Amino acid sequence: MSKSNRSMGGVFGAAALLLCSTAWVQAADISFLTHWSPETVAQLEAAAATYTESNSDTTITVRAVPFGDLLTTLRSSGGGAGGATIAGIYDAWLPDLAKDGLVAPVPDAIAEDVEANWPDGVVNAASIDGTLYGIPNEIDVYALNYNKALFEEAGITEAPKTWDEFLAAAEKLTDPAKGQQGFGLINSWAAGVLHPFASLLVSNGGDLVVDGRPTLDTPEATETFELYETLVREGYADPAMATADANTTGPFLDNFVSGRTGMIIMANWWESALKAGMGEDFENVATAPIPVGPSGDVARSISYSWMTVVNAQAPAEEQEAAWDFLAWLNGPESGEEGASAMAGILMSMGILPSRTSDVAAYEEELGSPFLAGYVDVLENAKPFPVVLGGQEFSEALQQQLEALQFGQVTAAEAQANAQADAEEILARAAQ
Amino acid sequence: MQRHLTRSLVTMLGPAVLLIGVFIFVPMLLTIWLSLQDWSTQTGFETARFVGLQNFFDIFGSTSVGRDFKAALINTAIYTTLSVAILLPLSVALGLLVHQRRVPGGVALRTVLFSTYMVPMIAVALVFSKLYSPTEGPINQILGWVGIGPQPWLSSPQTALYSIVILNIWQQVGYFTVLAVAGLTQIPQALYEAAEIDGATVLQRFWTITLPLLAGTLLFSAVIAIINAVQVFEPVALITQGGPVNSTNVLTYHIRRVGIERGQGGLGSAMAVTMMLALVVAITALFAAFRSRERAA
Repeated sequence: MSKSNRSMGGVFGAAALLLCSTAWVQAADISFLTHWSPETVAQLEAAAATYTESNSDTTITVRAVPFGDLLTTLRSSGGGAGGATIAGIYDAWLPDLAKDGLVAPVPDAIAEDVEANWPDGVVNAASIDGTLYGIPNEIDVYALNYNKALFEEAGITEAPKTWDEFLAAAEKLTDPAKGQQGFGLINSWAAGVLHPFASLLVSNGGDLVVDGRPTLDTPEATETFELYETLVREGYADPAMATADANTTGPFLDNFVSGRTGMIIMANWWESALKAGMGEDFENVATAPIPVGPSGDVARSISYSWMTVVNAQAPAEEQEAAWDFLAWLNGPESGEEGASAMAGILMSMGILPSRTSDVAAYEEELGSPFLAGYVDVLENAKPFPVVLGGQEFSEALQQQLEALQFGQVTAAEAQANAQADAEEILARAAQ
Repeated sequence: MQRHLTRSLVTMLGPAVLLIGVFIFVPMLLTIWLSLQDWSTQTGFETARFVGLQNFFDIFGSTSVGRDFKAALINTAIYTTLSVAILLPLSVALGLLVHQRRVPGGVALRTVLFSTYMVPMIAVALVFSKLYSPTEGPINQILGWVGIGPQPWLSSPQTALYSIVILNIWQQVGYFTVLAVAGLTQIPQALYEAAEIDGATVLQRFWTITLPLLAGTLLFSAVIAIINAVQVFEPVALITQGGPVNSTNVLTYHIRRVGIERGQGGLGSAMAVTMMLALVVAITALFAAFRSRERAA
């Protein structure tokens, strides 16, 4: 039997199993916990309504909380028997949630379907020790966003490709008299602090964690901490303009939207926030790869994924109905023109879907000037490390980076503290 | 007769003792027990592993666990001290203003003052997060009209905690003013009249009559203000998320982060027990100071 025949056989087998599992689904009330905005929740509810038209025994309710409360809600109530049946989670949370038995492994038939239709890297990010725990949906990657109008005003003709060009551009864009900063940092939000730093680090040839051990003591990391120190010392980045709130909005977003920040490193998902805040001025926003550091060889950035998981404490019939709904929601029959309904929801927010057929179905939209820049950098992106204790590690590094932003520590002190904290946290979590 | 009395006592006190035991003492004892365990909040109590006082050593140790907890403890102490030190004198001052029957509009002023206490914290937090905006906030715009440059408010580790204190005072001052007014109305008017006849000035009347006779009310206000301040959570969770640089990371928010977000139930319980002990010590010291002052008087 040829390889293609075996693949086809596998796909048909998986499809048959999915159909069978659909037929056996019992009546159940399932709930879906997410951090999406009301507009996006409305789209999810519409998709759920479509599903329940042909699965009238199942009822689906959607519950939304701010991003800052999502993990807490999941841990405090979402993981119990009375908690949400389905939750959208960030891949870095998966090891701890799986260790505590809060998330159920994906049933074999659906797991086979996921393995056949999603890229390996994305499937790995949703797996622990070879067991798949969720259906991947969105993939996010970081890139440099810049304001073309401010670039033109400052006489900069193209996006910076190296750290030297980046610092030179930041200097030209900085104008204290106008309250304008060259580069926008972010603080008071762990991922907002960490991901841009990690993107610059990997674009300088470094890593946060290698084989479960923190590598913040490398020369590449030293240069990245020093870059932050330079940005603040020279006044190219103003930490007072960098605050984020629980909804991952706040002054850092306001300052970019209102043209007071020349450049910022952010993920593709904030497209909808930029459009809402900038209106027609959104045309001024361009996307470019992360500038390459002195020790780097190619522009890299950090990527991470989200997945939908099912509560392992939920009753069996709820779990079964939840997986059936998720298989449909992420399958090619639920959306338009061969795309999944989930992909349609994600694309409305400017988020890249991860299912291979969804990427093909939205090829044209993914080629928009804003998103194309993100799609281009995906190839060389490194997944954010998924390790036990990841959340605590992120918060500890966030604290050091914020202390560096506000001049409370030097680059060398921040680096030494960050490495020591990370070693202690990851070692403790691994016990 | 004695047996009948005992039976009556058990019958009357039993339900209350049972309720207090189940809903107050059991959770407290459970928290103390968990503070001595290594336990994930997502697993059953049967998975807890006894570690003695290790959690307490950790939260006062030199690692990031200890550093963050001690910073949260200090932030909470600063927040509480400032809140109480500003709220009490301010509430007495406002109470003196609004309890005067001769002042027109006194009742309306009292209502306005108390109304801030009735506004839900979510609304207060949303409004204040915009008021404090460094670039577009109306507070900085108003300061600009009088020649004061923009302040960073919540955006700087030097000012963020104080900005939350101001928010707290704005919301709570009405409640404590009402308490002060209630205390002021209990002071016999005859004392003031006698003092006036004796030629006492307004200031002398305040120091020798008002303040001593308001001491009981102030003690109650101080206890409530301390408990409220130590339990501050919403503005931090809604606006600052403990930042920047953990400058607004207070104990309740930190316990939630450690105990729930990270699932470290043993460490979180040790922090909660320490917070409870700190609160008991502070309140006891306050009562002791009040009693020694009463004895001296």
